Order: sequence, then structure tokens, then C-alpha cells
Amino acid sequence: MADLMHLFLQPLSYPFMVRGLLASVMVGTLCAVIGTYVVLRGMAFFGDALAHAILPGVAGAYLLQISLFWGALIMGLLTAVAIGYVSQRGQVKEDTAIGVIFAACLALGVALLSTVQTYSVDLTHILFGDVLGVSDTDLWLTAGLGLLVLLAVVLLYKELLVISFDPILAATLRLPLNALHYLLLVLIALTVVVSLQTVGVALMVAMLVTPAATAYLLTRRLWHMMIVGAVVGAVSSVAGLYLSFHLNVASGAAVVLVCTFFFVLAFLFAPRQGVVWSWWRGRKAAHQALIEQ
Amino acid sequence: MTPTLEVKNLTVAYNGANALEGVSFRIGAAERVAIVGPNGAGKSTLFKAMVGLLHPSQGTTETNGAEIGYVTQHSDVDKTFPVTVHDVVMMGRIGRMGWLRWQRPHDREVVRRCLAQVGMLEYANRQIGELSGGQQQRVFIARALAQEATILLMDEPFAGVDVPSQEVILEILDRLRSQGVILLVSLHDLNLAVERFDRLALLNRRLIAFGPPRQVVTPETLAEAYGGQALWRGEDYALVLGDISCCDEEGHTHG
Repeated sequence: MADLMHLFLQPLSYPFMVRGLLASVMVGTLCAVIGTYVVLRGMAFFGDALAHAILPGVAGAYLLQISLFWGALIMGLLTAVAIGYVSQRGQVKEDTAIGVIFAACLALGVALLSTVQTYSVDLTHILFGDVLGVSDTDLWLTAGLGLLVLLAVVLLYKELLVISFDPILAATLRLPLNALHYLLLVLIALTVVVSLQTVGVALMVAMLVTPAATAYLLTRRLWHMMIVGAVVGAVSSVAGLYLSFHLNVASGAAVVLVCTFFFVLAFLFAPRQGVVWSWWRGRKAAHQALIEQ
Repeated sequence: MTPTLEVKNLTVAYNGANALEGVSFRIGAAERVAIVGPNGAGKSTLFKAMVGLLHPSQGTTETNGAEIGYVTQHSDVDKTFPVTVHDVVMMGRIGRMGWLRWQRPHDREVVRRCLAQVGMLEYANRQIGELSGGQQQRVFIARALAQEATILLMDEPFAGVDVPSQEVILEILDRLRSQGVILLVSLHDLNLAVERFDRLALLNRRLIAFGPPRQVVTPETLAEAYGGQALWRGEDYALVLGDISCCDEEGHTHG
């Protein structure tokens, strides 16, 4: 028992671990809530692209010696609006627009970073996150912006729900569809930027999609999905970070693997839609039919 | 207040060509009007222009302040979306609630009343995808009622709906009419339109005829609307041949 307590408490004696845990929980929660819309609106590719597209912002800020956060923020917002604009113009399909912009930004980011001496170390941190390097300032920024995003999600709950479920009804209700759509893109961009340090660019999409998808399998109302997703995201973040500490594996990867583990559990055992129960019900029905014959 | 609806000279252009040309009609009393016509006749376009989803190049839709509710084809939304029947009908209240407002007891009361009107109250907590096509259609009618709409536009409400459910929906429409609601229903089934509706609007880009079914359905008007696809079978029946496959209306392919 004492050993078990030790496993839990020992990491907490390091301030960087405490900050990392706080940051992970906030990011896990936030990503899952916004991820609900990413999953329901089929925006996984957009989320992935957006995460990669902020690379030049980060690299530029690094070269200019200003806060990486602001570089990422500006680039994230710019990309979100650019993708929204190009796809709404309708000359090319949305996934094509995303592909073009995302690859261009990634290339620009790599080009900028490759001029730096410590290229590979910096790139690794940006790609995979550096949760143990989270500073107090980062924590406050994450908390502040995260709360802002959550506040928008709560205050505009019914509007974002209706534009996602039935845009035609939203239009007949005279809701500003375009403005709300862009707002959602900006909220996703803010989430990505806030989560950058903790999860990194490459695994961001997992935090946006996996906890929300797990919750999707387990719930049938939007706000239930948000809450269950947030719990899955937060628990995975804590569990992943502990695993990372004790097994000495990369933290972002550990968090994502725990998320995926929960998803697989839900996929197999979800009460209504789970693979195992469907199979079991099918077998029982077949058995029943056989007896009745 | 009895709703009135007047469509004046409505013209809608799609990619340079007119999808609707100078459509005018007026509905004053509580009436059940069927809009019939071949595929691509502009039935969905007419509805979309009337509720402001499409901008007409000419013409107007006027009501005496009555709210128009648009019941789209139930196949148009994602049935796996995590919303319950109650949630779906509550969406109709959004316009009444206003920004930054949560639902109040009054809104929940209206939602329950509208669900009861279509006989779906006991399904309030089901996820929308767990219902049959006909039941979903009733939920979407309830949602339009929750908007406090007294003019309902319904796009192919019987598409993919079995016959018993069709009867249930027709009974609901009867009740709504007796409460003074104006109903405009687009249909593929000409026989159903003739038998069960007060007036018919025969549409093929232009409004070919508008009035009581027996006056609207004549060999001449049918030939004009359907070309060779319609067969005149005496006074009571009109049979539409050829492409009666439901219901890919013109609007969807043009996005």
C-alpha cells in the first residue's frame, strides 16, 4: 500500500511534474470539449492540419526571440481563417484547401527552423511537446485562454449545436451561420495553440479526436458527450503522465496511448453500439431462432 | 390570428437559368396545399426561397406576421448525432430564446406540448436515430410547431415512410389544419395529392395550375407539367410514369 502511495506521490515532489500534470489536465479537458465538434462535424483533418500549420509561427517567434505562444497564436488564427475562406469560396473542396495550406505552412516552418543550429532538438519539442518544460506563465496562459474557449462553448451551446446538427434550420432561424462557423474555427485554433507545449504538433489531433470519439460511443446527448470526453481526456492525461514518469517514455505519446486504450474499450464494450455486445446479441438471437425452429 | 401567405412573382435563378419563374399564389384560410410536379420542377427551390435560404432574383413572400416553419426531408440530417428527440424539438425554440439565453420552463413546456401534438411525447428521451423514418418526420413537425410556426412547408414528408406512418402523419396534418395552420406539402404521389389535399399547385418551373385538385389535374395541365411521363386515367386518377424515384431534388446537386 505504501509502495502504491509512493508511486503516486513521488512524482509530485518535482515542481515540473506538478506543473506538467496541471497543464495536461487542462489541455485534456479543453481538447475533448472542442473535439466534440471536431468529431461531429468531421473536422479531424482540419484539426491535424491546423496543428501542423502553426509551425512557421513557432519557428518565426523562436528566430525573433519572442514568445512562441504569440507566434503560434497568430499563425493558428491566420490559418483557420485562410482555410475557412478558401473552402467557402468553393473553387476547391475543403480537404484540398486544407491539404494545400497545411503542407505549405509545414514546409515554411521546417525551412525556418532548419536555419537554427539546434534544429533537431527544437523540432522534436515542437512536434511532440514538452510537458515537463511548462512554466508558470504557460500555465496561466493555458488556464486563461482555456476558460475563454470553454465560456464560448457554454454561452453559444445551442447555436453551435444547431449549426452542427441542422444548418438549414439554423439559416431559417436567421442565425449568422458564417460568423458562427468562423468562430468555431477560431476556438479550435485557440485550443490547438494552448495545447501546443503539452501535446506537440504531431499528436494534437489525437487529443482533439480520441477522447471525444470515445465519449461519442458512450453517450447520446451533446453535453453528455462533452462531459464524458472531458473526463476521458483529463484521466488519460494524468495516467499518461504517470506512465511516462515511471516507464521513462515520451509524455505526449503515453497520454495518447492511454486515450486510445479507452477508445478501444468503448469501441468493444459500449452498452449500445459496442462490437462485443452486438456480436453477443446477434449470437443470442440466432440461438433463439434455432430453438424456435 | 389566422395566418395568410402570399407569394408574388417569385423568380429564382440557379447558375444563370431560372429554376422558378414568376410563381404567384395566395393562401388565406387554413388549407392543406400539395405542391406537385416532376423531379427538378423547383419544389425545394420554392420552399427555400420562401424561407430565405435562397435569394429570389425577383418577387416576394409575404405573411401577415405568421412564422414560417420549414420541415426538410428527414434524410437531410445526421441521424447518429448525439441529440434526443427533446433536444431536436428544443432547437425550434432558439429563435424565441435569443442569444446567450438558456431554455426556461416555458420552453420545455412548449416542447412537451408540441411533442404531444404529434404523439411523440413518450419518445422524448430517445436518440433521434433510434426512431423510424415516420417517427422522425413527426419530430421534425413538432420542431416547426415549437417555432410557433403557423405556416408549415414540408418537403416530401412521405419519402421513405411506410403506409401506416403516412396515415398517422396525414391525421396530424388534419388536426393542424383544424387549428388554423397553413400546410404546404411537396409530394411525388399525384394520387395522394388529389385525394387528400384541399388545393394543388402544379409546378414545373412555372406555376402551371393552382386550385382545387379536380380543376388542376386535367390532361392538358398534366401533359404540360410532366410531358410524356404522365398518363391520364379518367376523372379520378392520374398516374405518373417514368421517373418517380424519390426524391433527389434539384437543390442538393447544386449545393
